[in-house]
Amino acid sequence: MNGVFDREFSLGELLPTDLLDAVGPALAGLVDAGLAVLTSAGGSYWGDAPAAARREPLTVELEPAGYLASTAVPERLRAAAAVLRQLMAARVRYLMACDLHTDVVTSDYQTLLERNRALAASETRYKNLAEELEQRVAAQVELLDERQRQIYQAEKLASVGQLAAGVAHEINNPIGFVRSNVATFGTYLERLARLKQRLGDAAVAWRELDLDFVLEDGAELVRDTLAGIDRVARIVRDLKGYSNIDRPDEEMADLNQSLNEACDMVATRLSPGVAIARDLGVLPRLLCLPGHLKQVFFGVIQNGMQAVSDAHQPGTVTVTSRAVSGGIEVAIADTGVGMTTEQLARAFEPFYTTRPVGSGTGLGLTVARDIVQAHGGRMAIDSRPGAGTNVTIFLPT
Amino acid sequence: MMPEFDKAAPRLTFKLVYYGPAQSGKTTNLMRLHDLLAPELKGEMLTLETQGDRTLFFDLLPMGFRAPSGLLVKLRLFTVPGQVAHDGTRKAVLSRADGVIFVADSQLTQEANNAESFRNLTDNAARVGLDLERLPLIVQFNKRDLPAIVAEDEVRARWTGASWPVTFATALTGEGVRATFDQLLRTVFRRCGQEYELSGRHGLDEEAFVRGVLG
Repeated sequence: MNGVFDREFSLGELLPTDLLDAVGPALAGLVDAGLAVLTSAGGSYWGDAPAAARREPLTVELEPAGYLASTAVPERLRAAAAVLRQLMAARVRYLMACDLHTDVVTSDYQTLLERNRALAASETRYKNLAEELEQRVAAQVELLDERQRQIYQAEKLASVGQLAAGVAHEINNPIGFVRSNVATFGTYLERLARLKQRLGDAAVAWRELDLDFVLEDGAELVRDTLAGIDRVARIVRDLKGYSNIDRPDEEMADLNQSLNEACDMVATRLSPGVAIARDLGVLPRLLCLPGHLKQVFFGVIQNGMQAVSDAHQPGTVTVTSRAVSGGIEVAIADTGVGMTTEQLARAFEPFYTTRPVGSGTGLGLTVARDIVQAHGGRMAIDSRPGAGTNVTIFLPT
Repeated sequence: MMPEFDKAAPRLTFKLVYYGPAQSGKTTNLMRLHDLLAPELKGEMLTLETQGDRTLFFDLLPMGFRAPSGLLVKLRLFTVPGQVAHDGTRKAVLSRADGVIFVADSQLTQEANNAESFRNLTDNAARVGLDLERLPLIVQFNKRDLPAIVAEDEVRARWTGASWPVTFATALTGEGVRATFDQLLRTVFRRCGQEYELSGRHGLDEEAFVRGVLG
């Protein structure tokens, strides 16, 4: 039980021999006789005692821890033993205080260590919680951003769609009667041609009036007009398709059709010196929102056209579609100005635009990626300044 | 709880601890016992260090007697420092105790301190591995001579649910000090007399045990 403060102390602890070496001879001088300290069992511990020596107990608490043996006169021997008992009592107090102090310090230190461990654990817990909260906030902010973009885009599309639908409706009525009238006019010209057979001598007048040319050119004019009207009708049809973009129904659609329509729409206002090349492979039908995807393709193809146009030299926007393992891959590559690393890094960032204020919202690619991701797909951009840009869109089937 | 048995001596040592809030009279209890009791063997009271009248480490009063068999029955009575700051010392002194007397201060103003100290006793007992349900424990309400104190009936009513005996004392005059100690001795004897064959092998029944200590 060594080290426990309330243990029984041994004679060696109570009267160390070096202590006896220091005080023993002086004490022996005082009592004027040799002194020896014996163990509690009577064995020799310090000094030599003659056989005739008397013993005086060196009691600690209740029992003798040893004996002082000497041939000194009894009262001197008792006085010497009393001095040693005082020394021993002082030693007891000293040893108990030391051991108790050590006990307390050790136990306090253990308590501190435990508290420290608990604090460290709690700190880690709070740190993790803080990190988790940060992540959650960031995720929420991103979600809110996305929702806001979707709302913005939906509103934009709704207003554009409304406008397109209105325009289509307004154009459709006049176009209907213009076409009908021109067609009727064509039949009238045919009837005039039949008149020539019946005129006889009036043929001279016919010739003089060069009515042959009138008939021939008139027919050609009608043909051209009809072609022009058909084209207007097709544009209006496309516009209606565009206006249907917020229709939420998914359908099994042929992406090539969406790509063709998007190319056609861009082609109606193609910048000079830009060509659109199509390389469309055979695709499986895809369950998707074709209107939304057409919007994506239209935007990316238009970006390509602008990039080529910005390069101030003739170039091409190549639209490729391929069935690949697990889905469909669409690539839209241009030979335009390309993007710097900084532009590339921020390409999908909301409201980031390189266009002059007012000409672009900076949402085109952001919304495009949202739409692709909503289809479970991926969108990637590869670009080098001066070499052009390649946008790859993967959509899982 | 396990009194220390030295077969060679032969000696059986009991460690009894006076616990309680600061200045409730633990040291006074010990001083009165030193004066009142007349066992066969009585050591000097050891007071390690004090600050004014406050115990900083502990007090120790050793006493004992020889059983008819020659066995030395030794008792070491300790007090703990009551001040809240010395909890480490209190815990060290309490460890390996064979019996505890909880000295409460009867004054109305000290009720919170008593409760806090008793909670500290249960906490520390658990920390040093003592089972308070099994450990001999007497609760002494001290300072009965003072005016503004909790009434005896009220104290009894409050402690009636607990398994520990309650005593009343005025340690300053010595009243109740011996009776409290007597109760603890009897509880200790009943708890471990059999295990150490005190009556069978050493010729000590409960009365002889108590008489041996009290003198």
